[in-house]
Amino acid sequence: MSLSQIIIIPIILSIITYLITKKFKKAGSIINIILSGYILYTLINFYGQWDILNQSLNINILGGNFEFILNNSPLAWLLAIMTASSIFLISIFTVHSQQEEKNTASFHMFFSILLGSILGVVFAGDLMTLFIFWEVMTYSSFFLISAGKKEGAKKASYRYLILSALGAYLMLTSIFIIYTQTNSLEFTQVAEYLGNLPTLNSIILIIMMGVPFLIKAGVFPFHVWVNGAHSNAPKEFSPFLSGLMLKIGTYGLMLLLYLVPLYNILGESIKFRGLPLFNYILAIFGGITIITGTIFAIRQEDVKRLVAFSSISQMGYIVMALAISTPLGFTGGLLHLMNHMIFKTTIFLTMAAVIYRTHTTKMYEMGGLIFRMPVTFAAYLTAIIALAGIPPTNGFISKWVIYQALIQKGYIFLSVAAFFGSIGSFMYVFKPLSTVFLGQLKPEHQNIKEVPFLMQIPMYIMMALMVLFGVLPGIQMNIINQIGESLNIETVQSTLYTITGAYGAWNSLVIFNVFIGGFVLALVIFLLAKKSKLVGLMDTYTAGEYMDDPESYHYAYKYYRPFDRVFDAFAANSLTKAYDIMAGNVVKLGRIFKGSFVTGNGQTYAFYMILLMIVLAFAGWIV
Amino acid sequence: MILTTIQFILISFAAMALGLLFIGIAKKTVARTQKRIGPPVYQPYIHVLKLFGKEAITHGFIFDFGAIMAFGGMIATLFFVPIAGIQLYSMSGTLLLVIYLMAIAYLGMAMATVGSGNPLASVGISRALTQMLGYEMPFIVVLLTLIYRSSNSSILGIVQAQQGGLLNWNLINVPIGTVVAFVALLGLMGKKPFDAPIAPSEIASGPVVEHGGKYLALLMLQHAVAIVVETALFVDLFLGGATNIFIFIFKMLIVWLLATLIGSIFPRFKVEQGVLFYWKWPLLAALFQAVIIIF
Repeated sequence: MSLSQIIIIPIILSIITYLITKKFKKAGSIINIILSGYILYTLINFYGQWDILNQSLNINILGGNFEFILNNSPLAWLLAIMTASSIFLISIFTVHSQQEEKNTASFHMFFSILLGSILGVVFAGDLMTLFIFWEVMTYSSFFLISAGKKEGAKKASYRYLILSALGAYLMLTSIFIIYTQTNSLEFTQVAEYLGNLPTLNSIILIIMMGVPFLIKAGVFPFHVWVNGAHSNAPKEFSPFLSGLMLKIGTYGLMLLLYLVPLYNILGESIKFRGLPLFNYILAIFGGITIITGTIFAIRQEDVKRLVAFSSISQMGYIVMALAISTPLGFTGGLLHLMNHMIFKTTIFLTMAAVIYRTHTTKMYEMGGLIFRMPVTFAAYLTAIIALAGIPPTNGFISKWVIYQALIQKGYIFLSVAAFFGSIGSFMYVFKPLSTVFLGQLKPEHQNIKEVPFLMQIPMYIMMALMVLFGVLPGIQMNIINQIGESLNIETVQSTLYTITGAYGAWNSLVIFNVFIGGFVLALVIFLLAKKSKLVGLMDTYTAGEYMDDPESYHYAYKYYRPFDRVFDAFAANSLTKAYDIMAGNVVKLGRIFKGSFVTGNGQTYAFYMILLMIVLAFAGWIV
Repeated sequence: MILTTIQFILISFAAMALGLLFIGIAKKTVARTQKRIGPPVYQPYIHVLKLFGKEAITHGFIFDFGAIMAFGGMIATLFFVPIAGIQLYSMSGTLLLVIYLMAIAYLGMAMATVGSGNPLASVGISRALTQMLGYEMPFIVVLLTLIYRSSNSSILGIVQAQQGGLLNWNLINVPIGTVVAFVALLGLMGKKPFDAPIAPSEIASGPVVEHGGKYLALLMLQHAVAIVVETALFVDLFLGGATNIFIFIFKMLIVWLLATLIGSIFPRFKVEQGVLFYWKWPLLAALFQAVIIIF
């Protein structure tokens, strides 16, 4: 297998997948499992063969010579592995969960195309290849989002498409500008060209190339599409959208920040505490993303919307860490990128499992599912412990490295944002735990069962990964150090279970041991005491009130009302609203234009044309 | 290995005993400020022993698991806070770790209480988590300032940086930060005016409403260890630690008594009032202190 083959095969196979799935509902899942499993296997064999597998293809169009290049670099390999494994696990999940859906065939078709196009994006060695696969990725994910059942799906996917189109135009323009000057779009040559330009010009070009990446990553001020798209997408696609698609945006940012060495370009520009202003502003955007994502996540009543906002806030960490550009920042950003993929995919999968059984996404319509769905609960619990950054799971390590990076340079305001997101995450992850899994069971959910075993498999794998990487972060550090070497970044000292930060070192084995010790001690004390009597959940202290209705005895609606009250005014003037007002004004402008020029009379239009010709003639005469 | 295990168990029980003693002293002190005689100092020991002997009710496995996780998490935290220079497990970079390890205990407690199915418990937890976002912000800014100042993120390193007399203490060198950290400590320990999460008269002691027997005993022990961890952390970070265990405990006692006395004279904040208070003065002061030290 070559690089081009693993990109093209899924895209071609997708049509066959569609046709077969039309006939047999489960076929699509199985084809995707085999396909992504095989690609995963191939990719594992690609490990270590950096730059050996490179391919290029020359095409002459209209006298221009375009070179399409595919590169196998450690960074690309990492994202490819993440993509393939994510699709592999989600496909296992879809075998049962897609049974009731109407658009199963097209779901699997676009999922397959998405796999190919993302592999194309990450292995691309030049801007043109990147752009083409980027667009394929955008459109296939657009169709996947719009397949959502909810009413908002259309509007959300439309918003996603509009923003993506904006990004695509900017990127295409910058590609043309660069191509006319350099005649080549290969990354290293583009980097060289940008390095030789005047600083201002190269910054403008970099911003033009960076906006589509920021949009995909859902960074402030482009985060408006994320919550709608995530919450309205089909329940099996949300894990992929949040776990992986957002990361592709940060992959692009990494290309800009490290492959195009922004540091060298901006070396002479204004600096703030040793960081170029451009990077600092990007980091501040990351900080704002963290804070807004957190505040909005706490307010939500819809569970998918809550997790979507939490994704926004977690992406803020990655962007912030990458923007800091120190070895620690780079390492922390990449670690968090991997870890976020693992725990956020798990959270969305568990929520998909809950929705599969209860058919609702509103948290106050659920409750007490822990005794009915214990495996789902265990997976969710592990994932939120990782998300909240509590040891001994993987989430804490990446956050610890990011904090080290922040303190090392003394970015106190960025640290405030980072910690706000971290402590705030306790609040929003506990809300679904408390309202969906704990508390009183609704009478209509009395007969719910745990999801089928096939749907549990991804959860087990993810749980194991979270603890594994929490105890042995060296596995991840190995690939990160290779990426660092390939991008000429100093690497952070690490062994299998230690990471050396700026001030102090991390040793996960000690922490794991002490944690187990404390837990065992508590367990022994607990078991030595008298055995307790099991009573029902309704048999509680009610201050003398007689309670017989579990539904009204479940505290779920507006869980953090006192906190939300503080931010009511802030939430009312959200950015989404500002964009809506802007859109409304554009529409109004269009109406005014229409009202003043459109008459419906053919002679008027003929008059316009004559007017235009006169103007053009004049212009030609002047020029 | 066996020696470490024995030390582990001994230190854990010593911390529980010390924490219970502190609770007893606090009960007596509060009683005196209210012109009552108050219970004897050893009363909490009797409580715990009695509670372990009683038959308890449980609301399912999460109720048990949460209580164990709360207590175990707090015990684990204890071993990363050096007490009088003694630290069983050597590791650098413990300061941020301690904050997050404590969160395990709180998450466990929250799960257990909400798992009981009593809405009063849920209300208490929602208040506790909200308030946590309030007091942690200024507290962490102060911690970051300390880490930056002593170029060391381990508590032991910060203690060592303060050796050599009163003038090297962070109390003198980071005065605003010390005051801020103390105010945050009040919230961390749930002292008045920041006791909205437990508010006995409003929500029937919130999180512990359903706990009885050994569950309440475990939570009491967890609370006792938490007091030791929190006061020891404060002594280590701001009062220069100590090489002598008795001086160290004396310093802890002073911090604890001060917090108790302040707690016994204030009325209660509403939750959002508490959060806004923390974000207004303590956070601003902490940022001010940070800017002075870093720039």
